[in-house]
Amino acid sequence: MNRKRFVTLALILLFSIPSLTQTGTKKKRPLPYEYGRVVLNNNSTKYEMAPVVFEHWIHRGKFTCRVCHVDVGFGMKAGNTGIRAADIERGYYCGACHNGRTLNDGKPIFAACSTRKLTYEDQKRCDRCHSVGKRVPSDFDFATFTAPLPKERYGNGVDWEKSEELGLIKPQTALAGFTPKNPLVVQKDFDLNAKVEGMPDIIFSHRKHTVWNGCELCHPEIFMGVKKGNSHYTMVDISEGRSCGACHVTVAFPLMDCQRCHAKPVQP
Amino acid sequence: MNRRLRAIVVVCLLTGFMGPGTVFCTSQNGAQSTSPPATQTPAREAWQREFDRICSRTQEAMSFSEEDLASLVQRCDALAPQIEKLDETRRKVYLGRLHMCRGLYAYVLESKRNPKK
Repeated sequence: MNRKRFVTLALILLFSIPSLTQTGTKKKRPLPYEYGRVVLNNNSTKYEMAPVVFEHWIHRGKFTCRVCHVDVGFGMKAGNTGIRAADIERGYYCGACHNGRTLNDGKPIFAACSTRKLTYEDQKRCDRCHSVGKRVPSDFDFATFTAPLPKERYGNGVDWEKSEELGLIKPQTALAGFTPKNPLVVQKDFDLNAKVEGMPDIIFSHRKHTVWNGCELCHPEIFMGVKKGNSHYTMVDISEGRSCGACHVTVAFPLMDCQRCHAKPVQP
Repeated sequence: MNRRLRAIVVVCLLTGFMGPGTVFCTSQNGAQSTSPPATQTPAREAWQREFDRICSRTQEAMSFSEEDLASLVQRCDALAPQIEKLDETRRKVYLGRLHMCRGLYAYVLESKRNPKK
């Protein structure tokens, strides 16, 4: 009997060793409506407010990345911009549109942030953005908004590129008062060589990225090298948020969708 | 009050409500927007006009000569101290934008000067 107990215990320990030796935290894959969600907390909890939840999916259908991240001035990482309520109330950052006057589909977009003494109605309005841990009704439902859009496997589950091609979304390329009149000059597409033999080369659409991002969003902060092939980065770099990973880890289609980039047929 | 005077008062009131206080712009997809605070003043400030002139040409950067790019970088450097004097909000917004715009011009200039890199 003692021998049986000993053998059972030894077997349990043997099979539990692999799980005990694992380190790190497994990341949960975000659900389609969660993908692209950014939580902002520069000052919120300091002033006893819930952190802000920003959903990319509703905004990317309205504007190109360039409008927000170049013209309006939002940083590429949460916390980098240093947004304050006073900035928004003055009509900058979120206040560029969330000012109670700018219209979207004929309706005024709610005004965000107030630095004056808050009424009950003001507080309810604050909760629309300062919503971490709260159940706040939204004007837009993810399922309803994305229902007519072509689907893809990962990220938001929406093929944003195709949605734009089909005219289902029409992201604005300029915002009055923020975008200087800038002639749109698109760059040419080119291929990038995959380092792994047998892996298809990447067809990089410089043209599409120029239209969505402009030039200054990527150069030189994200991509330093000018000549093709002079910037060296690996999939590890990308998965850690560098180079292509600045966008293609959190907001644009994720890295799991290999074929979206590694699309050039492999030559025998 | 006679009819004529009454009519004048009504017209003046209507003009007052619909007058120059509000400017509407129509964007590409039909959404309308009012001008944000940056352009509600009738004329943009001198530094804003210079900023628009410098940073409105980023998309054409690859077509500029080295002299043009060097000049744009110098103009960015000359504009920065003026923006530093602004209030905190505008200083933060416009310095960030100027940094991106200057960075791009310097980057393209460097690529033209060192074509092997």
